[in-house]
Amino acid sequence: MGRRGMMWGKGLALGMALLLCAADLAMAAEKIVIGGMYPMTGRGGRYGLDSVAAAEIAADEINAKGGVNGRMIDLIFTDSKSNPSYAVKVANRYIKEDKVNFLMGVVSSAVGLAVTEVSKENKVIFVGTDHASTGLTMEKFQPYYFRVSNNTYQSAAAAAMYAADKKEWKKYYVIGPDYEYGHRVWEDFWTLLQKRRKDVEMVGQAWPKLYEPDYTPFITAILKAKPDVLVTSFWGGDTVAFIKQALPYKLFEKMTFFNYDAGGNYEVLEALGKDMPKGLVLSARHHLNWPDTKQNQEFVAKFKAKAGRYPSYAAEGAYAGVYFIAEGVRQAGTAEDPDKLVAVMEKMKFKLPEDPEGFTSYMRPIDHQIVQVQAIGETVPNQSFPPATMMLGNWKVYKAEEIIPSEEEILAARKAAAQKK
Amino acid sequence: MDSSLILSQLISGLTSAMTLFLVASGLTLIFGVVNVFNFAHGSFYLLGAYFAYQVVAVSGVGFWPGVLLASLGAGVAGVVMEFVFLRRIYGRAGEAGFQILLTYSFILILDDVVKMIWGTDYKSIERPESLSGQISFGEVAFPAYDLAVIAAGLLVAVGMWWVIRKTPFGRNLRAISANREMASSLGVNVPLTLSLVFGLATAMGGLSGALSAPVRTVTPGAGIEVIIGSLIVVVIGGLGNFWGALVGAIVIGEVTAFGILFLPQWAVLFSYIVMALVLVFRPEGLLARRGAS
Repeated sequence: MGRRGMMWGKGLALGMALLLCAADLAMAAEKIVIGGMYPMTGRGGRYGLDSVAAAEIAADEINAKGGVNGRMIDLIFTDSKSNPSYAVKVANRYIKEDKVNFLMGVVSSAVGLAVTEVSKENKVIFVGTDHASTGLTMEKFQPYYFRVSNNTYQSAAAAAMYAADKKEWKKYYVIGPDYEYGHRVWEDFWTLLQKRRKDVEMVGQAWPKLYEPDYTPFITAILKAKPDVLVTSFWGGDTVAFIKQALPYKLFEKMTFFNYDAGGNYEVLEALGKDMPKGLVLSARHHLNWPDTKQNQEFVAKFKAKAGRYPSYAAEGAYAGVYFIAEGVRQAGTAEDPDKLVAVMEKMKFKLPEDPEGFTSYMRPIDHQIVQVQAIGETVPNQSFPPATMMLGNWKVYKAEEIIPSEEEILAARKAAAQKK
Repeated sequence: MDSSLILSQLISGLTSAMTLFLVASGLTLIFGVVNVFNFAHGSFYLLGAYFAYQVVAVSGVGFWPGVLLASLGAGVAGVVMEFVFLRRIYGRAGEAGFQILLTYSFILILDDVVKMIWGTDYKSIERPESLSGQISFGEVAFPAYDLAVIAAGLLVAVGMWWVIRKTPFGRNLRAISANREMASSLGVNVPLTLSLVFGLATAMGGLSGALSAPVRTVTPGAGIEVIIGSLIVVVIGGLGNFWGALVGAIVIGEVTAFGILFLPQWAVLFSYIVMALVLVFRPEGLLARRGAS
């Protein structure tokens, strides 16, 4: 190619590039852009990466069927670093520079509380997929926030019903990580249980710091108190470490271990493998083996095929989040009018992998909290999801309507919070 | 309060103390001899834990050889870090600032390296069969594994005493700690000794991680959790003082253990209260700094 030819070549290349950019811009205007924020490093990293994989599965499924009203779903993700002030910066950048239509994500409730403020100010809908603090839908509620996974109140309410039925459970000891989530999980439960049973007492409490590596001194103190039940709000690695360290003390033979909000997460069963004792009472926001519906089996299989591992419960929340947004846009006929979207989304019903036969999850207008069935199980031998050797079984299932706070309770909590200010 | 309970709390406190000691003694050794405050020291604990997972749970090497290999691996990683990176900033103007930046950045780098190789899920290795049960003394029973950890920690302490006091390497190490220029002009190979000290200290951190792997959570970020505890230990014991690290670790281990027994809801506070008291009344640490000896 001669010199002139090269100039031409460059000119052409430049022209092509400009054209492509223009085409890309035109495409972008038509896409539904979801700005996802998940921790991808540190302790919450597994939840973040599982959420990203599951959200991509949902988006691919929707886009393969031609998108929503002809518009494709476009996901962008940033590491939230489980850091509220950092996540606020990311959310602002998403809104101002990436022009996202929706914010989605967040594993930590502290980050959730920070991002919901950004959502409120900018009137950009924020779909919470994993963080569980009840505050976001109760006293810190704002109309552009929705949560598609259950909160600590729901799991605690189911746990209180479970515990109330166990006549032999009278003496309770609580141990949990010393921060908002750890305390809230316990307090919601204890308040509700005391309404159902007068003969229960708390014989001790311990609040080690989050991510405490060594629980042995706590374990000997718990054994001394001789409780019937050890309630705990540990999650993830803290549950794993506690169980490993309590095993040689035969703690699980002396009391029932009750970890109803996050203890039954698959990653815990997976990490403990052969060390997982039988008969622990656990639950989580999603289970691989409950409900035994086609939709749930397919979800688990699709995730396994894509990520090469079984999902922790965060995955189903993110999957639900993308479907919730897509269905909202389809029904509202817009992704740009937040108020129109809120009006549709707050009354939406949609079927999720964690819904048993005959039940469909739905949003409640008063708190924008998804209403779902909750199941609590015991660890039983089950080799179907290796490397876990125990899975949950002997399920007790609690109806969705029985485990949500009443509208009066919600309004009272909001009123009390407003007066505090 | 019955005596069996006090005894079992004593043992559990001593177990945490030994894990802390193995990390903190390396931290203090590096500070005393190499004159570097190694923020990344906890990351060698992390590497030790992952290496142990790799050789024991994945490759099927026996537990104790695996633990030794893991701690050796962490030591090699430490030598590489010292030789390739830290060495470049010795003696530079404003060295302290560079040290903080460099060693802190290694926390992030090593955390990400671990994540890239092993992923973010929790890893687990089983206790060796022979140590998975309990050992009873009269009516009190202790986890056998905890007793093994205590024995290993004490063994390292005695071994280190021997190395520092009785070997030519230990003599060089003490000489450098007292006066680096003087030691160098007397013919001590300072760069080599510094690399070896760094390797030895990070291998001890790795040993702590490897020993903890069967009973704790092996996850990215675990290094940061131990470095905070170790910092408290070295502040209490006296920065740069090897025996101070042992005393500090035992104080923290036992204060936490008994604090939990009597006032579990305030447990998080005790080690910080002890640290604050030491800083007020004996800011140079319980054992004032006398080099690394």
